[in-house]
Amino acid sequence: MARETARDIDETAASWAARADRGLSPAESADLEAWLRGDVRRAGAYARLTWALMSTERPDAAAQRPLTSRRSTRRAWLAGAGAVAASLAATAAYLGATRPVSYATRKGEQKVVSLDDGSVITLNTNTRLQVRYGKDRRQIQLLEGEALFDVAKDRDRPFVVSARNADVRAVGTSFTVSNVGSAPVAVLVREGIVDVMREDQPQQPAARVTANCRAVLARDTGAVAVAQVNEAELGSDLAWTDGRIIFRGETLADAAAQFGRYSDVGIVVVDPELGAERVAGVFNATDPVGFAKSVALSLDAKVEIRADLVRLTR
Amino acid sequence: MADTEHDDKATIAEAAGQVDIRERAAWLGRHVIPHEPELRNWLRRRPVAGLDVDDIVQEVYTRLVALYAVDHIDNPKTYAFQVASSVMINHIRRLKVVAIDSVASFEHLDVADDGASPERVLADRDELRRLDETLAALPARVAEVFRLRRIEGLSQREVAQRLGLAESTVEKHMARGAILVAERFKTGGILKPPASKSMIRRFFR
Repeated sequence: MARETARDIDETAASWAARADRGLSPAESADLEAWLRGDVRRAGAYARLTWALMSTERPDAAAQRPLTSRRSTRRAWLAGAGAVAASLAATAAYLGATRPVSYATRKGEQKVVSLDDGSVITLNTNTRLQVRYGKDRRQIQLLEGEALFDVAKDRDRPFVVSARNADVRAVGTSFTVSNVGSAPVAVLVREGIVDVMREDQPQQPAARVTANCRAVLARDTGAVAVAQVNEAELGSDLAWTDGRIIFRGETLADAAAQFGRYSDVGIVVVDPELGAERVAGVFNATDPVGFAKSVALSLDAKVEIRADLVRLTR
Repeated sequence: MADTEHDDKATIAEAAGQVDIRERAAWLGRHVIPHEPELRNWLRRRPVAGLDVDDIVQEVYTRLVALYAVDHIDNPKTYAFQVASSVMINHIRRLKVVAIDSVASFEHLDVADDGASPERVLADRDELRRLDETLAALPARVAEVFRLRRIEGLSQREVAQRLGLAESTVEKHMARGAILVAERFKTGGILKPPASKSMIRRFFR
């Protein structure tokens, strides 16, 4: 069969866009989704022609429909909401590439990487990783930093994140792995199940980690400790994916060190007693000055702001 | 082989979940489609056997709309060009007859990057003027449907009633209009001269 031409696709996509403009029945939505899945070019053509119709809306009408934030997008995904929602799967056509691809973020930067199989990696600040997709394995090397992995299900090709002395193996799930400085490698599972393998015992899982649990690998022995995390803790540990840091009673010294991961503007707590004070609240990860000011206010400390340094004193 | 591919797609469809296509289309329209003429020029200078520029543009857009999130993309234009080169490289790989070093040299092609180029976000007035031009360039019947649907805000059904047309005909006019408007994306909206001045007046008197 001859390959469908781009022009044919545009024609059909335009028909769908026109139908969506008057509203789709559930059966039509299902047909549209099936059609979109049939060729890697169709979803793009459909989005383009949808914009062609949208662009003829009066600007004031368009302004009433502001773009939603990333978080509500995520919710819309999960709920399947949206006037014209369509599942977009066609990127799967790229399976089989084996050349490693590197991704990195600078300090204070975050990046979302969408992989060809539909998996998504969110890189936190100061992170380097390599992605290599093979026929029987999706391999990620987390060289430094922290990342959230939303893994598309593929039973035949496990998704393996290697970090220092551990391999974290998943089939389809959502979890973070952190390999920051000298801290032990830690795995936090948000959904599903992952197996944690020690580098020196690759044959069998050292621990099976389920949702809402954290595994920490001792740096020297490689021993794996698994502990349950509660909802609030999970929320604050994943706050960085929205550019926030949440503290729930950490010492000011620890909190200052956390900010050091996100910004070159260091927070120096001069007085050890002040450093031992507990802090709580939601902060912008890339705004150490704002954090220091708010801390100074609540702990009755003095804040001195320099170009690359914030000093907190009593 | 074909079956496996199909299964893969089905699996990923489940995993990818749902994305609001209107929202993603709007992002594409504001940040990437304004650069489509440049992207097409760039692609034309790098022909790939068996692939039209149109094929690549569609595939690039698919990859962009299938992304989990786009608000972390600082420079959508550069990003789109990178996606385009990766689409081309994938196709060249699949051809399998290309010597390895030709792929390698291809990968080192510089992606056009004019730094933090300001997005072409147009003021409302410009958008209105642009909308006028767009509608004026459509065939009369299609333009009439768009005017009632867009300017007067009637539903497609109401447009059909007003014009004494079948709803399916109104739908066809909308589809035709979409194609014609999208045609302008290729050149950046440089118009064929409008059919007549009187038509513009008919729209916005």
